[in-house]
Amino acid sequence: MPNAVIIRLEEITKLYGSGDTEIHALDAVDLLVEQGEYCAIMGASGSGKSTMMNIIGCLDRPSSGRYYLDGVDVAGLGDTQLAHIRNRKLGFVFQQFHLLPQLSALENVMLPMVYASVSAAERHDRAVEALQRVGLGNRMNNKPTQLSGGQQQRVAIARAIVNRPVLLLADEPTGALDSHTTQEILGIFGELNTSGITVVMVTHEPEVARTTRRVIWFRDGKVIHPHMAPAQIGQVA
Amino acid sequence: MDIFESSKMAVKTLTANKLRSTLTMLGIIIGNASVIAMIGIGQGAQRLASEQFESLGPNVLFITPGKRETRSRTFDLPKTLVMQDAEAIATQVPSVAGVAAQRQTQLPVTYRNRNVSALIVGTTPTFLSVRSFDVASGRFLSDQDVERNTRVVVLGPDLVDRLFGTTNPIGQQVRIKDVSFQVIGVMQPKGAFLGNNQDEAVYVPITTLANRLTGRTSPYGLDLTFISVSARDEASISEAEFQIANLLRLRHKITDEDDFSVQTQKDVLQIVGTITGGLTAMLAAIAGISLLVGGIGIMNIMLVSVTERTQEIGLRKAIGASQQDILVQFMIEAVILSAAGGLLGTGIGVGGILLVGALTPLQAGISPVAIALAVGVSGGIGLFFGVFPARQAAKLDPIVALRSA
Ligand SMILES: Nc1ncnc2c1ncn2[C@@H]1O[C@H](COP(=O)(O)OP(=O)(O)O)[C@@H](O)[C@H]1O
Ligand SMILES: [Mg+2]
Repeated sequence: MPNAVIIRLEEITKLYGSGDTEIHALDAVDLLVEQGEYCAIMGASGSGKSTMMNIIGCLDRPSSGRYYLDGVDVAGLGDTQLAHIRNRKLGFVFQQFHLLPQLSALENVMLPMVYASVSAAERHDRAVEALQRVGLGNRMNNKPTQLSGGQQQRVAIARAIVNRPVLLLADEPTGALDSHTTQEILGIFGELNTSGITVVMVTHEPEVARTTRRVIWFRDGKVIHPHMAPAQIGQVA
Repeated sequence: MDIFESSKMAVKTLTANKLRSTLTMLGIIIGNASVIAMIGIGQGAQRLASEQFESLGPNVLFITPGKRETRSRTFDLPKTLVMQDAEAIATQVPSVAGVAAQRQTQLPVTYRNRNVSALIVGTTPTFLSVRSFDVASGRFLSDQDVERNTRVVVLGPDLVDRLFGTTNPIGQQVRIKDVSFQVIGVMQPKGAFLGNNQDEAVYVPITTLANRLTGRTSPYGLDLTFISVSARDEASISEAEFQIANLLRLRHKITDEDDFSVQTQKDVLQIVGTITGGLTAMLAAIAGISLLVGGIGIMNIMLVSVTERTQEIGLRKAIGASQQDILVQFMIEAVILSAAGGLLGTGIGVGGILLVGALTPLQAGISPVAIALAVGVSGGIGLFFGVFPARQAAKLDPIVALRSA
């Protein structure tokens, strides 16, 4: 039995500007990602990786094309429904962590559940569980400024998974980390994927991409290799 | 997300930046403090004036010379009201219980080497009952004193303190404008009336005042500053007013405009009420404007805050906040700021009122309605001026917001 399709992009195009300055950030992209996959998106800077992640993450809308997320046509949804999808089905991890500085690690992780109207007691328990899962059970009450970059990214990952999403999106999650910390963070992504979460991660580092099971290669807003084996990375011109 | 969670979050955000939150509230604090204090003090002034007029005695009417429009507090109006008018009212108006003729002037009073300028009230024995005064020691003026122009004087208690200190004044001689008077009594303390200390007055027989101190100035008889009349009871006040006016018109042979005016306590209270009420309204308007300015201050800072917190807003949207969640969050912050400012300002205003009450006779009212209104209005102002910044925040595009790093 084939796995369910989580992401289905059909001729997704994203235009910026108009007339002479018009840019095809995405140019008729077709893509399928199935339940349980672990993908890296690679490509030169400016090739449209982030633009696509934002569309997949329902933070942005395409200029044209169709996008089905977990079988749902996203184009027809309003703001509140999109917010609901971002809250329940998706988890985001950013290069700059984006933790709220006035909140403790625990409070940062509880935040998505506040928007999901989870009860206070359950919020606390689930946040603790998520932090323990990313190996940060002992620093829960620290503010982000009291944590190292790697620890902050762990908090961000805990926040992304605490509402049990089907899809984890990470845009250069290790871009701001040293190589040792990078390995630790990648270990967490690997474990999360093993436990069943679909992971899509943008990176420009081949070592990072090699820890995944599929590489999607971008150039000039187009997917030029939708199904590359990580071992093939060096062979792309 | 429910309101309770939003409020907790808002409090967290606001307390994380205490200095800014306080500065933002400052306008509202000042606005509320002034609303509460101004209204309270205005009402206090009104009450004080009312109390003082009520202390004039129950059912009192005043007859003053001159038209109502030209009436003022100078004592040198055309002297159209004379002693015989007062006697006629006492004998001919049935609804009247008592009549006290008063003629007043300001003169120096001397005891040994001490010299005080005092209000000299020339009157008759009926003064006590009509005006609800009483003597504390000795006696008041008698009918004989009035008949015989005796040189006797009853002193207000504060004047006694200033002239005699601890010496018993009764039986002593004081000089008023080089005329020697014997002190026969001391009045009970009565307090101030519209800023004039009634306890510094001097009471002499009205005839003695006219014949030995001021001289007569009217061709019609012994002229008066005013006549105080007490009606038999509250029900007969308007009757007395009507009868007195008719009697005086007849006596003065008036054909067109009255040369006197009769005022009841109610009339006077009404005038005082209009004046202090207008004052209160004006003060409240000024205070209201400062509330408005406070609200604009909140809007201003909230707009800055939205710009500064663009990233936070983007992140919140990315993890599941809807536009409405963001809108509510910023609205609640604005409302909490202004309502807290309102409460603080109310505290300061009440403190000011208590201070004024402790230092002056003005017992300003702390009305719970005014407080509820001020805090409510502040919250409303927060709501009103919070809408615009909150909508700016809610409309932010999450991509742009997140990229602004
Ligand atoms: N908001 C925007 N306005 C105009 N052009 C944009 C905007 N966002 C992205 N682009 C352009 O779209 C292209 C793809 O950008 P992006 O998806 O960020 O690339 P990548 O993440 O692969 O480096 C680039 O040429 C970029 O300049
Ligand atoms: Mg990018």
